[in-house]
Parts: sequence; C-alpha cells; structure tokens
Amino acid sequence: MTPGDGYADQAAAAWQRAAAARERASRADDSARRHDEWAREPGRELHEDLAAALRTTAACHRSSAQLQEGFARRMTRWAQGRGARPQFMTGVAEACGTPSAALTLVDSGQGQLAVAASDEVARAAQELEFILGEGPTRDATATGRTVVATHMVLEERWPCCGPALTALGVREVAAVPLSTPDVSDVCLGALAVFDPRPGLVGSQAFAEIVGALTRTVLLDPDADPELYGGTDHRDVVQQAAGMVSVHIGRRVDDALALVKARAFSLGMPLETFARGIVSGDFRLTPEGRS
Amino acid sequence: MTTPRQRLASIFVELSGGNSGAPLDHPVLLTALAVRSRELVGARACSVLLAPAGSESGEVYASEPRARDLVREAFNRGEGPGPYCRRTGNPVPRTDLRSQVARQRWPHYVSRALALGYTEVAARPLRGRDEVIGVLVLFGSGEAPLTEEALVFGQSLADIVAIALLRDRELDRSRVLAGQLEHALTSRLTIEQAKGVLAAQRSLSMDEAFAILRGHARARQRKLLEVAREVVEGRLIL
Repeated sequence: MTPGDGYADQAAAAWQRAAAARERASRADDSARRHDEWAREPGRELHEDLAAALRTTAACHRSSAQLQEGFARRMTRWAQGRGARPQFMTGVAEACGTPSAALTLVDSGQGQLAVAASDEVARAAQELEFILGEGPTRDATATGRTVVATHMVLEERWPCCGPALTALGVREVAAVPLSTPDVSDVCLGALAVFDPRPGLVGSQAFAEIVGALTRTVLLDPDADPELYGGTDHRDVVQQAAGMVSVHIGRRVDDALALVKARAFSLGMPLETFARGIVSGDFRLTPEGRS
Repeated sequence: MTTPRQRLASIFVELSGGNSGAPLDHPVLLTALAVRSRELVGARACSVLLAPAGSESGEVYASEPRARDLVREAFNRGEGPGPYCRRTGNPVPRTDLRSQVARQRWPHYVSRALALGYTEVAARPLRGRDEVIGVLVLFGSGEAPLTEEALVFGQSLADIVAIALLRDRELDRSRVLAGQLEHALTSRLTIEQAKGVLAAQRSLSMDEAFAILRGHARARQRKLLEVAREVVEGRLIL
C-alpha cells in the first residue's frame, strides 16, 4: 500500500475515537466523584466500591485514547515519509515496552478466529499456536487466567510450541485473556506480549491496556475490531481448507488440519502455502502433496 | 454476633453479586427489596418502581398488592412521590399524607393512599451512574410509622440494588456485543471455506465462487451464512 490509501480517513477516525474515549473517561470520573460524596454519608460505604470501579473504567478509556492518538500520529507521519504502513498493534506493543504483541480473537471453543500482530515475531508465534493447537495464548483463553512463561518453562509446558517459540528468539511470553468486566465466562481472546518490559505484567498500566482493548477496541458500539485493517482473518487459509476438503473428500476441519500439518512439515508460512493451494500450484491428497 | 441489619445487608449482597456472572432475576431481587425493606424499617408497606430513563413502562414490585397498584397508578399518572423522586433524583422526606400541603401537591394520589390506610410516605431514589433508574417508596401508618433511621437504611438497600441492576445491564450488553463479534468472525470463516469448496468443485476463482454463493442466497432469499454452511457441510451442491 502507498501513502494516501485512506490514511487521512483512518487518522481522522482514530482522532475521533480518542476524543470519544477522553469524553467517556471524564464522564466516568465525574460519576466517581459523585459517589465519593455519597460515600461520606454514614452507612454508605458501598459507594466507595462504585467510585473505585468507575475510576478503573475511566483509566481504561484514557488508555484507549492514548492508543488511538498514537495510531493517528503514526498514520500522519507515515503519510509524510516512508516505511511500512503503521499497525494499530505496533502502538499496543510499544506501550508494553516490546516490539512484539499480538491480539488473538477466539470462538467459544478457543479456536483462533482472527489475529492482529505488531510484527513478524508476534505473527509467527500466533501462527505456531494456530497450527499446533497449544501455547500460552490458548491456555490463557481456556483458563481465563494470565499465563506468563519464560524460556525453560515455555519448552517444558508446551513440548511442540515451546521450542518453536524459543527458536523464534522469544525468551518470555505473557498472555492475558480479554474478558468483559465481571464476566469471566465470556472470553473474546487474548493479548500476548513477547519479551515485555520487566514489571509490566501485573502493573496498573498493563491492566488498563488490556481493559482498553477489551472494552473500547472490541466491544464499544463504535469499536473497530478490524483495527484499521490490521486484523488478519486468514481468509486464504480457510479458502484453501475448503478446496482441500473437496480434493480429499473429507470434512473441512480435517482438511484444515492437513493444510496446517503440511505447511508446518514443509517449514512454509501457512499463508504462503495456502496461497499455493488456492492458485493451484499445490494440490493436497490424503497421501501427500502432488 | 450479627445484627438483623447486617444479615439483611448480606442477603442483598448475595442477591446482587453473590453468584457473579449469572444474570439477575429482577422480580426476585426487587420483590426482596420491597419485602425486606418493609420488615426492616417496620413500615406499613414498601414498593419498588424500576423505570430507567427512556423506558416507557415501569416494573413495580411491592410488599403487598395494594401498594403495588398505588405505585403503578401514580407512575402512569405521573403524580405522587415516586414520579417526583424519579424525575428529580431527590429523595422525598417523610411526608404526612393528611397534611394540607400533601393534598394540594398530589390530590389524586393522597386520597387513594389514605383510602388504603397509608398515612405517611417517603421515597428514595435507585441511583444509577448518570440517572435515576427507579424509586423505593415507603409507606407508614399510625401503628407502623416511618423513622429517620429506617429511611437511611432504606437508601442503602436501594443503592445495593441499583448497583446490582447496573452491573447486570452492563453484563448483558457485554454479552450481546461479544456474541455479535464472535458471530461476525465465525461467519466470515465459514463463507471463506464455502468459497474454497465451491471453487474446487467447479474449478472457479474465489470471486466467481462468492458470486455464486451470494446469487443463490439472494435468489432464494436466504442468509448467505446458511447457504455457506450447507455448502461446507456438503448438504448443498451449487
């Protein structure tokens, strides 16, 4: 893509979303102050809890505003210069003190539905989990808990995925489930950060970034789960699975598993391999590639 | 040792957030608010009106049917302490219904209330984040007068319930939005798979395959997703 390709619209949309988020943050702060007053009356401690909850909400909106503003600035700078088109996730990763972060959206069965990655490492890491069906992100969405693993643990806990991750140069992974506030049974996916800044996990700032992604990026009425075109739905891979299911006469799930397995054994990026199938360069049979 | 009040407070905490994640049962929670408030404050009757801004109709629950009917009627007419409290967000202090002031202010309401045996009324708002979402109306009589202390505690109960209701509403909204997002993502996946199936079956490009899927769905006035799913599952050959 070249500068001018909708960049002005995207930058404008990001500024608008940032302004809306700041507005929401200040409304939540106002409400929190009101509850503070009510909490001063005797027997009304309950309002302290509500005020605290409102302040958390306000902080998430502010974090969201910062991410949108950061993206808007990047788009504007990119339009004036060169380099790769900015990704929304690049700003998320930077806020976590790393170049590599990925947002993975899953279905109720923890299957990956879409991925947005800040860089090649994050993208490759999510692809490994997609292919191998195991890894920190999958565990985070399955358990609803934050998963943190370093080098040795990575390799022990996920015998297939772990060594592949360390081979990418990853030394530490933190994966946080994106659950809606108060509802742990609804999990949209996870944010995985690779080699994050020390002390990030468990910090208030990190919780606010996760909250911002969940609430304002994914769930608000004006949310943009497409992340300005940065979300990858693996369309070509699904198309390839559909084709292979016809070629081998099996269910599409089996076909998808076969596509993944062949790409992995060939050491080829899944997308590239899938493109080869769709274009007719590769044809899979139950016995092997022909 | 726990006082009856502490026990009551814990009942409401249980009702409103004890089973986190499960949707609230509004009638159970609000009936409990009305019945327990009455017991606690020793009032003659209590009623809860739930009517968030923008809602045309309100839900009314009460410790006894006639209090419910009175509060519902007042809501429909827009006259009485309940509608005033809901409109302004201000509590209505203990008011003697036999007083001249009360009669002048709510002529219809006062005669109905007195006929039912209520001589005092007070109202406390169910306060939401930005608006009043309902009202707790307390009725007293000669044998069961309203006390200041009781009204303070009534407000606390109203607050617990209001917070529970708000949380429940947000929860509901989150669930709906999360469901919509998952639906959009899985639909896309199924449609891409169907394109692949069709492309392989008929040696088409992906664009051609999509045009056929869409054309079939339109011609038969069916959802694209349903058609795609049947193609993927081999139940429909196009």
